[in-house]
Amino acid sequence: MYKKIGLALAFSPTCKAILSEAKRYKHLFQASLTLIHIGEKTEENENYLRLLMQDSQLDPETTEIIWEEGKPAKKILSICKREKIDLLLAGALKQENLYNYYVGSVARRILRKAVCSVMMLVEPAEEIKPIHEIVIDAEDQPYVQQAMQAGAYLGKAASVHLIHVVRELKLYGLAMSITSETSEFEKSEVRKSMVNEELKKVEEKLKGHDFDRLKVNAKIIAGKSGFELMQFSKRVGADLLIVSAPEKKFDLFDRVFRHDLEYIFADLPCNLLVVKA
Amino acid sequence: MEKLNHHEITSLLIQLSILLAMGRLMAEIARKINQPAVVGEILAGIILGPTILGMASPEIFEWVFPPEGASFIALDAFVQVAVVLLLFIAGLEVDLHIVWQQGKQAMYTSMFGLVIPFVIGFLFPYYFAGFFGNADESYRLVFALFLGTSMSITALPVIARILMDLNLFRSKMGMLVISSAMINDILGWLIFSVILSMIGKNSDSMSLYQTIGLTIGFTLFMLTLGKGAMNKVLPWINRKLAWPGGLLSLSLALCFLGAAFTEFIGIHAIFGAFIIGVALGDSEHISEKAKEIIHQFINNIFSPLFFVSIGLKVNFLLNFDFMLTLAICAIAFVGKILGSGLGTYFGGFSKAESLAAGFGMNARGAMEIILGIVALEAGLINEKVFVALVIMALVTSMTSGPLMKLSLKLQTSDTSHPAFERKFIRTWVKEKLTKSPQRKV
Repeated sequence: MYKKIGLALAFSPTCKAILSEAKRYKHLFQASLTLIHIGEKTEENENYLRLLMQDSQLDPETTEIIWEEGKPAKKILSICKREKIDLLLAGALKQENLYNYYVGSVARRILRKAVCSVMMLVEPAEEIKPIHEIVIDAEDQPYVQQAMQAGAYLGKAASVHLIHVVRELKLYGLAMSITSETSEFEKSEVRKSMVNEELKKVEEKLKGHDFDRLKVNAKIIAGKSGFELMQFSKRVGADLLIVSAPEKKFDLFDRVFRHDLEYIFADLPCNLLVVKA
Repeated sequence: MEKLNHHEITSLLIQLSILLAMGRLMAEIARKINQPAVVGEILAGIILGPTILGMASPEIFEWVFPPEGASFIALDAFVQVAVVLLLFIAGLEVDLHIVWQQGKQAMYTSMFGLVIPFVIGFLFPYYFAGFFGNADESYRLVFALFLGTSMSITALPVIARILMDLNLFRSKMGMLVISSAMINDILGWLIFSVILSMIGKNSDSMSLYQTIGLTIGFTLFMLTLGKGAMNKVLPWINRKLAWPGGLLSLSLALCFLGAAFTEFIGIHAIFGAFIIGVALGDSEHISEKAKEIIHQFINNIFSPLFFVSIGLKVNFLLNFDFMLTLAICAIAFVGKILGSGLGTYFGGFSKAESLAAGFGMNARGAMEIILGIVALEAGLINEKVFVALVIMALVTSMTSGPLMKLSLKLQTSDTSHPAFERKFIRTWVKEKLTKSPQRKV
């Protein structure tokens, strides 16, 4: 599915674990791996990276390394564009504080301005943990079909136990008229028909993708879009959440008048794959 | 200390009981014929008020609803609280991020749907002020501005219900209409508040500019920092206090505080309640269940009290002016359908869809009536204009659904090439705009 994977690598305490995760996804997608490091290329740093790769059993012959200097997020994004990276992997903190939320950390900047699919790894481990449950967001977003495809592919490749395909029930402006103008029975019928309609849409989304032999749970959730998806992923203890990238790059307004995805970016419930193409 | 006596308390309780019972009865009848509850509630008020009961038996009417005295004032206080709460739940329904996500298309529909009806609604009353019942020359501008605003407002709950009945609620067009109505709501109430401050009756201590500055400042503060602060406190309230009691009482406390603030700075209390509602409703920590409880409580107790009381204030027969009502209805229909329709068309929809969106946005519903009663109480309009506005609100709400359905039927026979036409129109407008300054030079 993805042919060229990039890994944004900073020399942090988790970098060894992130390399192990990168190796796992390289194998799962049968892709090539490019390590991207933004920082000074000193002998010491080169030796450190070589040792890291050795520890992670990454073949230095087949692993491309790009060293560049500059503003990390901006540089990483331009390298992804230049090198035609299909999927960028990076480590990220689960939560951001208020300052970082508005100003933006490197990981969040990459997510907000992504030029390709991005996977954020929140709890990387050197000893790879299996992927048991995946949550796929099936909202009508520009790359929802690609998100479904990625879910189906990973489901099979990683022998996932359960895939939750989630849509959100939105009630904009309806509460006011429904509460005063319907009986209890009508209200429940209205709700039921809305849920059924959404379930049909989930089924439509599943069509055309290979979910055979995979256990799929179609789930409709109500509440604040994005936030409820994040809460649901936490509740089921998902290992990976897959969402479609938005149509446009995010700016400050998307944080003030929160875009659905910003709820997820602000508090990553698990590893997150934002599918761009 | 003055307080209600035994007789006045009994009278007030009887009034409340009659208003709620009659409101429910008529709302149920309206429901049976697929009309919004507010239609039935207004009719209940007309039956109980000076229009029917007052004319048939003035003694009984005055005994049940004394025109003065402590119970009259107490009932009026209930109604004031009701209208504040109604605007609070109207605000709760506004979802800022969906407005932002719909982007340019929603902006087109809402801006055209706001500006065109506003301009038409302003021009006629300004140049034919006498016909529209404005005898006070000094209020001509404010009067015309108010009617312009009243033409541009849209009733979100009515539209949401219509879209759901037509199975269009989650369609692209449905979302466009919903988000455009939300933008209209915010801007409409903001403009109306500024107009109210222009009358200058509410606050003696502040200048017009101070009031406008404070209004805009309050709005911006509540929708950014205020909203953020609420988001931080709400999880604590949900976790530590009794649920939903804690959330219910503290959110209403905040609503009344916001309402008191805007009343204090010289604009109406309803604006503060609306903005608090928007800020609170936008929080991810207010669950659908909590919203539903707030809606149940306000929609079924305070809302009928307010709408039935409308009929008690005005004699709809004596103040019915056919030509005035016709003119207001015509301006309302033409302005909104043309404005919202054109906006939707430029936003990329077909002619039939644009017309449907125009009809949808034409529903004025309860919001128009609230706007009207506030203007009437502020002395901005007379009773004849108020009656015409109420009738317009009811007619637009009742016709919105059927007309939308009809225009969507045209969709199949719509064989034009809207995309090509729109591109042509846009290019033509762009050329004109870029050429005109050169000619001047």
